[in-house]
Amino acid sequence: MSPTIEPGDWLLIDPTIRRWPRRGTIVVIREPDSDVLAIKRVAAGPGDRVNLDAGHLVLGPDEAWLLSDATDAELLAAGLGQPIDSRRYGPVPVDLLVGRAWFRYAPIRRIGPIRPGR
Amino acid sequence: MFRLSDILAPKTIVRAHCDLPCGVYDPEQARIEAESCYKIIEKMGQNSDPTFTARAIDIKEQRAELAKHHLDVLWHDYFKPEHLEKVPNLHELFWNATKQVSKVKASTDLADARKLLDLIDEVDAAWKATGGQEKTRVARQTA
Repeated sequence: MSPTIEPGDWLLIDPTIRRWPRRGTIVVIREPDSDVLAIKRVAAGPGDRVNLDAGHLVLGPDEAWLLSDATDAELLAAGLGQPIDSRRYGPVPVDLLVGRAWFRYAPIRRIGPIRPGR
Repeated sequence: MFRLSDILAPKTIVRAHCDLPCGVYDPEQARIEAESCYKIIEKMGQNSDPTFTARAIDIKEQRAELAKHHLDVLWHDYFKPEHLEKVPNLHELFWNATKQVSKVKASTDLADARKLLDLIDEVDAAWKATGGQEKTRVARQTA
């Protein structure tokens, strides 16, 4: 999720949200299938249309499309493969939403609110 | 002595979760394990020695578990939401195939093993229909 979130950042998470926040927000989820806690960005919310290589899909009333920030070029430079996000596991139901990342309190040089972007 | 950073440090780690998959997928892996199950059941019908039977059951269960693993990898890692357009029954197919593996694991009926092979062949057809053969395998050296 670089440069918005870097490895080792200490984050405050708002666990009280029960609906998908607006597009661009950074969220923590339990990954479908693996149950791993993961941090992703909301790329599309309930009812939005997501364009795919071979057509499109429309998200359900409780679904979001979550993506990693890294581009293909950045992944290649880092020696990584495709990120594990909605391109791998599809739309994510709101039941798997853990919280919204809203503030970074360490490291000191990067302290500040995490604002929706991209 | 407690340090402030110990108190403030997060107790939970979350991951951005990129991985480095090899990107090689082929239903043939599952089929070979399922063929092992088929052949083992066949041999069990021809040999009533209790030691042989005990070994055969143990090995069949191991092979069935491997077949299930290979099917799960295909389902979770290779197939993507967009593949549903070409294979609308994809989830039902994997559901049936993995359930059938569980059945073969506990069964000594050759028909159950045959049905598993047929379901894996359907998975193979889905893999080929979505370009799996060209996209995920490394071409062999031509003679």
